[in-house]
Amino acid sequence: MSDTQANQVHGTYAEFDSVDTLLAACRRVRDAGYTQTDAYTPFPVHGIDKALGIKPTHLPWISLACGLTGVTIGLVMQCWMNGIDYKYIISGKPFISLPAFMPVSFELTILLASFGAFFGMLALNGLPRFNNPLFSKPRFDRATDDKFFLYIDAKDSRYDASGVAQFLTDLGGQHVDQVVEDDTRLTIPKPIWVIVGVLMFVACVPPLVLARMRVTTSGSPRFHVFFDMDFSPAKGAQEISTLFADGRSMRPDVPGTVASGQFEEDIDYYTGIDFEELARRDSSRATRLVRALRDEPDQTPEVSEADAPSEAPAIVDAPSTPVAPGTVDDTPWLPGNPLPLSSAVLNRGREKFEIYCAVCHGNDGRGNGLVNRRAQRILATAWVQPSSLHQETLYAEQYPDGKLFSTITNGIRKMAGYRAQLTAQDRWAVVAYVRALQASQNATLEDLPADKRNELRKEQAEVLQQLAEQAEEERRRAEATSATVAQ
Amino acid sequence: MAAHAAHPKPADDPTFQLPASISGLASPLGLSGLMLLVVGVLIGLFAGAGGRFTMSAYLTAFTYVLSISLGSLFFVLIQHLCRAGWSVVVRRVAEMMMIAIPALAILFLPILLTVWMGGGTLFAWGDPNFAADHGVPLVTWAEKTRYLNGTWFTVRSIIYLIAWSAIAIFYFSLSRRQDETGEVTLTERMQARSGPAVIAFSLITTFAAFDWLMSLAPMWFSTMFGVYIFAGSVLAAHCAIAAFVFWLQSRGAIREEVTIEHYHDLGKLMFGFVFFWTYISFSQYMLIWYANIPEETEWFYTRQRGPWATVSIMLVFFHWMLPFLGLMSRHVRRRPALVCFWAVYILVMHFIDIYWIVMPEAGSGLGSLVGIITSVLMTVGMVSLYLGGVLWFASANQVRVLAVRDPRLPESLAFENL
Amino acid sequence: MSLAIPQGLDNTVERPGERAPLVLGETTYHTITETVSQIAERPPSIAWLVGFLISATLASAFGLSILYLLYTGVGVWGNRSPVFWGWPIVNFVFWVGIGHAGTLISAILFLFRQDWRTSINRAAEAMTIFAVICAATFPGIHVGRAWLAFWLAPYPSLNLWMWPQFRSPLLWDVFAVSTYGTVSLLFWYMGMVPDLATFRDRSKNKWRRMAYGLLALGWTGSSRHWMRYEKAYALLAAFAAPLVLSVHTIVSFDFAVSQVPGWHTTIFPPYFVAGAIFSGFAMVLTLMIPCRSIYGLEKLITVRHLENMCKIILATGSIVGLAYGTEFFIAWYGQVGEEKFAFINRAFGPYWWAYWTMVTCNVVSPQLFWFKKNRTIPWRIVVISIFVNIGMWFERFVIVISSLSRDYLPSAWGYFTPTWIDWTMLVGSFGLFFTLFLLFCRFMPVINMAEVKATLAGQLHHHHGDH
Repeated sequence: MSDTQANQVHGTYAEFDSVDTLLAACRRVRDAGYTQTDAYTPFPVHGIDKALGIKPTHLPWISLACGLTGVTIGLVMQCWMNGIDYKYIISGKPFISLPAFMPVSFELTILLASFGAFFGMLALNGLPRFNNPLFSKPRFDRATDDKFFLYIDAKDSRYDASGVAQFLTDLGGQHVDQVVEDDTRLTIPKPIWVIVGVLMFVACVPPLVLARMRVTTSGSPRFHVFFDMDFSPAKGAQEISTLFADGRSMRPDVPGTVASGQFEEDIDYYTGIDFEELARRDSSRATRLVRALRDEPDQTPEVSEADAPSEAPAIVDAPSTPVAPGTVDDTPWLPGNPLPLSSAVLNRGREKFEIYCAVCHGNDGRGNGLVNRRAQRILATAWVQPSSLHQETLYAEQYPDGKLFSTITNGIRKMAGYRAQLTAQDRWAVVAYVRALQASQNATLEDLPADKRNELRKEQAEVLQQLAEQAEEERRRAEATSATVAQ
Repeated sequence: MAAHAAHPKPADDPTFQLPASISGLASPLGLSGLMLLVVGVLIGLFAGAGGRFTMSAYLTAFTYVLSISLGSLFFVLIQHLCRAGWSVVVRRVAEMMMIAIPALAILFLPILLTVWMGGGTLFAWGDPNFAADHGVPLVTWAEKTRYLNGTWFTVRSIIYLIAWSAIAIFYFSLSRRQDETGEVTLTERMQARSGPAVIAFSLITTFAAFDWLMSLAPMWFSTMFGVYIFAGSVLAAHCAIAAFVFWLQSRGAIREEVTIEHYHDLGKLMFGFVFFWTYISFSQYMLIWYANIPEETEWFYTRQRGPWATVSIMLVFFHWMLPFLGLMSRHVRRRPALVCFWAVYILVMHFIDIYWIVMPEAGSGLGSLVGIITSVLMTVGMVSLYLGGVLWFASANQVRVLAVRDPRLPESLAFENL
Repeated sequence: MSLAIPQGLDNTVERPGERAPLVLGETTYHTITETVSQIAERPPSIAWLVGFLISATLASAFGLSILYLLYTGVGVWGNRSPVFWGWPIVNFVFWVGIGHAGTLISAILFLFRQDWRTSINRAAEAMTIFAVICAATFPGIHVGRAWLAFWLAPYPSLNLWMWPQFRSPLLWDVFAVSTYGTVSLLFWYMGMVPDLATFRDRSKNKWRRMAYGLLALGWTGSSRHWMRYEKAYALLAAFAAPLVLSVHTIVSFDFAVSQVPGWHTTIFPPYFVAGAIFSGFAMVLTLMIPCRSIYGLEKLITVRHLENMCKIILATGSIVGLAYGTEFFIAWYGQVGEEKFAFINRAFGPYWWAYWTMVTCNVVSPQLFWFKKNRTIPWRIVVISIFVNIGMWFERFVIVISSLSRDYLPSAWGYFTPTWIDWTMLVGSFGLFFTLFLLFCRFMPVINMAEVKATLAGQLHHHHGDH
């Protein structure tokens, strides 16, 4: 059946002018017992399913199955990804948050159900199908315009070419014609092949390049598409920036704002100066200071800066810096610690002292902290030994608490200010602890309450005993070592 | 076309009157309903269910029947607005339920009375100590009570009831007049008024939902609340129409005028509104759950504890999931008996929805045995009073169950789904 | 035999009990084919060329500004602390909203059996897809490193070793908008297959025949195919209807799940959906009225079609107005300080001009549609529709910018100022939209011929049935 196949008859069609004539013809054809029939219309004709005896489709089931798949995928995917495989807490929500998983599950349900409807329809209809024998008939082009075609397939058991043609003509069909196998060669124009070929070739290039990059190594540096994203042009603190009108790269606080918990309402408390007294003595300086403090809260318009000429020489500290003659510190420092003293405050002060101060000043405050010891060991030339805190000039009578607070805040000579590291409250606590430390170095047994004295005596005795034992042990060990060396 | 066989019946045809088997039920239903209602209230008040619990149960029952009437009113308005043809054969049933609104206004009196008796018996904002007891700043409370106070509440409630009644009476009387005269201009008039009427309806219903239900929790607020109540009401109304029509048809008041196609459409709308109700209630829950702001979560928190947690879960599964799956199939929607089954089922769930909105604010859980008896008596009483009233009104005024001379009746009779 | 029905061109009066015709004049199946096909078959008109040139220029500006943004960074926008969502998100929500009318017309009006949708659904669906393309661009570039936007997809990554955050509304958005785009595309394309077959069968030129033939998938118009096709269409409509609701709902979740005053309010989902439909229909009218008069489609897209759309605009505009009012009322009723402030700030704060523009355009201007003249005279409709579009853009502007610029922390308040890139992108996105739309008009069937023929068939059936 090789050469006859080219002209094999597929069926017969007839053309109708209107829906009504078509429907009437369809019913007649159905009633005549034809089953392999079809109608071709430019739009869906209401009632033709019945007229031709077409069974309803299973498409809704396909779509439902796809939709159920979608909702399952959605829920399982989200529960597994966010609840099991990669857990992380976000805005206090449970790992498996069903309400929050609803939207995506819903969308996936709709998406897959729609795919089911669309692709299911195409599959059931056997589309796409580009070569259809019907297309070889030029008249059939009007099936998508304004004509209606009734078609009886040759596969129908009752099919008989001339009888069917006559029957269709009797039904009022026009242009009754046979549909035969399309014997025109499948001709796809050459340029199409060329274009498709070139496109396919070009499409292969990127994956090949990528694949090659994956498996080879290269000595040349990485290619940076967006250089400034790989190497962020971050600005240093003091650098100039073009991003902001004022040219600074560091942003100052917004005027009129205070960082949380940093509102320095009580000016005395934050400077260690009795401002009322200062205003009485030297109102212009007080005004100047207040303005400096209020206008630029972030800067350190400190006593040390604002008052540098009168202040710096006045600080009597180390033997190496004698008091400059003729300058007297007339600042009305707060004489006492504004914090109510308690063991909690002292412990806090001790904690902070041992963190921040003791590295230089030593745990005992004698100015022989770790840094100093190391500086001496490496014979640092520019090193100035930190002050011992146990000197008359630093006691409360000559160096009021307020002044000590100010020194801790703003620093002095080589010592930096600790304003940034310590809150004002902590600084006052350190002041309190320093006073306690000073008192401890000059304390006599009588300073202790009576009930503690015996305890201390006992402790002292124990310590002495221990020291003696230690010395004994040391001696013995030394002897033993020398003995082994001698052997 | 086969459907063309049924032609509009003449206006004086007694066929579309309520049959005796139905109209005879009016007085028994109404009277027993009234009795049950009164007994329920008395048991609640004097057997220890507590004033707030009793009145909340009353408000639940009242809201339930009112929401069906309001939904029906909306149904009628929207059919006119859209110039719908398919729905003419079922529209009169909706009109019969919507005309109950003026009567329901009388049933609102006990609630007004409770408000006027003061002390926050039903609405906690009536309690002068509310702010102090709940730690509400006095400034805030002063502002709130400018809106939430007895006088203003009464004025607003009266406005709502009058406006709804006016719309309902207008549409009902015109529609009935058309039964007699067959004037096409009446339809045109109803259509022309439907736009403004729908706007007035939505505005009033939103605010009524705020006042009567949302303000039960005085500090809570949700802008969506009106839409939520609206969604439930319209769903309930479609169900009530379907069930009512099925009942009338089974008793022969309507014959082949209402076809499978109409049930199919009502079924589709029920399905659609189940979805819409779910959409609205889920959105409301989701937004409040997600943002987790104390002022708002409190309302849902109350409903996630104790017996209310069970009720909340029930709503999810039985108000949404079950009817959603049940009505999904075209085969179900094309079987009137099944449509009627789902309609009744959803009506029950709609009651649970209202109950879940109102009762947790009464603060005593589901109530003791007395409380449950009270709630059941009052609900059954209210529903049968409502039903009896609707039937009584229809039979007393010889209302036909079909808009026999509506110009679009032929279209509705011939209506076919795709 | 003549299939024509004699009638005038005014079909806006509909006596109860009769249905006004939706296809007018001496129209036959063939004239429908002719009218629609000739748009794509004739050489482009001067008007088309000029329009295309202008919009393509703007679209190129859009493309260039995106390139500039990608190369330079998102700092080229006016987005600054505290307004980090700025114009890109305003534009995103605006365009997504525009994209709602198409699928609404195809799906919801289909489910409600509104036959008048048939003449306008094709162009509206196309508009939907183009609007979604414009919309999706903005969050795509808003992520900063747009070339890594695929990280949003839950794929097993060998570099990241982690999954996306499904509890975030922004990810829901990705799924919602992409699903919406895909389903709308399917819907649009599926609706076009029979018409593409018409184009194929009318082609005189081999190349043209081949191109349309490929797109038409070998459609023959077989009744079996039609039956499954209609079923698939109904199913897609049933899926697309809740999808339309869900998309703008999820977009509204982006705002409403947060705690920003003015954003967190439960009415957002339905209110956003109503607003989207509102703006979408306004855009359909803005496009269809010129299109209709240029291509002589008055008999297919009749005044009745326009009037119905005006009514939908009126209805949704009123819903939007009601929602504005409810929000304001609840802000006062709730007595939460920040919330109250947010709303007073909207109306009387630094962005009062945007707020009142929005109210005028969205609530007041559609009220003109109460008058029949305004619903039936095309140029008036266009003017009002343009106002509505402006208003809806401002609505998103008000929501995004006024709430962000002044939230809980007064020290962090700021004032948003757009940059020239912001402006270029806004105007450019319109360019892209119009370019795509003009291309569509030129090459695709602008009107769903098959459905209009079916409507005509129904009309003829009734016409004959009356006698």
